[in-house]
Amino acid sequence: MGWKETAEPVLTRMPSVRRPEGHVPFRRKLGWTAGVLVLYFFLTNIQLFGLDAGTQSDLFGRFRSILAGSQGSILQLGIGPIVTASIVLQLLGGADLLGLDTDDPRDQVLYQGLQKLLVVAMICLTGLPMVFAGNFLPADPGVGQALGIGLQGVQSLLFLQIAVGGILILFMDEIVSKWGVGSGVGLFIIAGVSQQLVGGLFAWEGLGGTPGFFPTWFAILTGSQDIASPLTAEGIQALLLGQGQLLALVTTVLIFAIVVYAESVRVEIPLSHARVKGARGRFPVKLIYASVLPMILVRALQANIQFAGRILNSTWNAMPGWLGQYSSGQPVSGLFYYLAPIHTRNDWMWWLAGTSAEPWQIMIRVGLDLTIMVIGGAIFAIFWVETTGMGPESTAQQIQNSGMQIPGFRRNPQVIEKVMERYIPQVTVIGGALVGLLAVGANMLGTIGQVSGTGLLLTVSITYKLYEEIAEEQLMEMHPMMRQMFGSE
Amino acid sequence: MSGSQGGGGLMSSAGLVRYFDAEDRNAIRIDPKTVVAFGVLFGVLVQVLNIVSL
Repeated sequence: MGWKETAEPVLTRMPSVRRPEGHVPFRRKLGWTAGVLVLYFFLTNIQLFGLDAGTQSDLFGRFRSILAGSQGSILQLGIGPIVTASIVLQLLGGADLLGLDTDDPRDQVLYQGLQKLLVVAMICLTGLPMVFAGNFLPADPGVGQALGIGLQGVQSLLFLQIAVGGILILFMDEIVSKWGVGSGVGLFIIAGVSQQLVGGLFAWEGLGGTPGFFPTWFAILTGSQDIASPLTAEGIQALLLGQGQLLALVTTVLIFAIVVYAESVRVEIPLSHARVKGARGRFPVKLIYASVLPMILVRALQANIQFAGRILNSTWNAMPGWLGQYSSGQPVSGLFYYLAPIHTRNDWMWWLAGTSAEPWQIMIRVGLDLTIMVIGGAIFAIFWVETTGMGPESTAQQIQNSGMQIPGFRRNPQVIEKVMERYIPQVTVIGGALVGLLAVGANMLGTIGQVSGTGLLLTVSITYKLYEEIAEEQLMEMHPMMRQMFGSE
Repeated sequence: MSGSQGGGGLMSSAGLVRYFDAEDRNAIRIDPKTVVAFGVLFGVLVQVLNIVSL
């Protein structure tokens, strides 16, 4: 009773992308996915109309790589609103405050509607301060004069454009989820991170930015770039941390290897069919059982705290010093400094003189970041498993429905659930905490192209999932009978 | 066999947004082509506005 009935007329009428009727051939799925990706890149390259391009600063800052989109473009908001809405839903759903049963079709419709409504709310919540408070998306007064609508009018136009962009991202995600391969959100994250990674490896000086790994090494080896002798301390430092970027390369490769390895670490629970003798199976409880996606929620939580700080700083002149002091858009002391995650080596390696903070301040910040990521990672992983139907109760029901049982145990969902409860919660917590630790570690050591540990983790694990899904799709294309087995028809 | 049956429907759990099979009769359904076409047109419109105002 209560909110469901009240909200029902609104939530059930939320527009949604039509579902395909019947099977979509794999080629067409790939076509839709590629099409949406092209549209995404097209839109990230369209500058907002009425933007004063000179003085803007990216509110997302270093979180850009996981929140996708691009500063100053129509897709300014990226997947930020979707992620923030998802945090709210995870917290509400994980604590079971919604009272929605996702097995009931009626509640499913409500859930989907609520999800969309929350994203729209988050578009307003992050978009309005971006345009109207602070100097994150400054309006061009010239355009206001030319059109005769004033600065306020141009600001409204800016907000309208980023709001349309945010809603487009939502529908593009829906198209990929229903008509394509994987999910749109995953696709946009991979797209952004891969772009940075390739740039960090191959970009040459002619492109304007800092040269990438390979061109730098080519220059070092051919002697066209001056570097201190590798036999001196400065030389070693330059090779490892400076232009040489050897440490970043090692971290990047290590994260790749660890994630791919961890994907294959699993506890396998043997299953046998109740009626068909000899039909055996295994239910894998992977080490990264909840996938890496909950990590993005923790990072987005930190990102939202930082937005709040920057918006407060730009609008509230009398902000007390203990809350935060800013220099060129970055917090340098106060609460917001300690809550800011470590993004690069320069944030904490005080001996490199990249930061003016005292070592004890840095220690507190590193400690807080680690605590938030490890504990937050574990908590969101638990919520994630619960809300996506991967928890002990749901999996037990699924196994029961498929006609399988655990050999040596009575064929009963409660019994299966008991066995599952021995593994799933523990594995989830360990996996979530491990991923959090990896993300912070990778950020501290630095990565190629500054893609951030979380971005790298997400990309590797989403790509791995995508690979698995494509393999499954191809199997189904080859053997149409498989479709019934996988239950997609 | 296992997977999506019983009126429920498993969604792509790979994404942050969950989509179920269940749909309300009242819901407004949009064709994916419409979304893509709107996206392209919107992008072109903004780009044209940018060029005109320069």
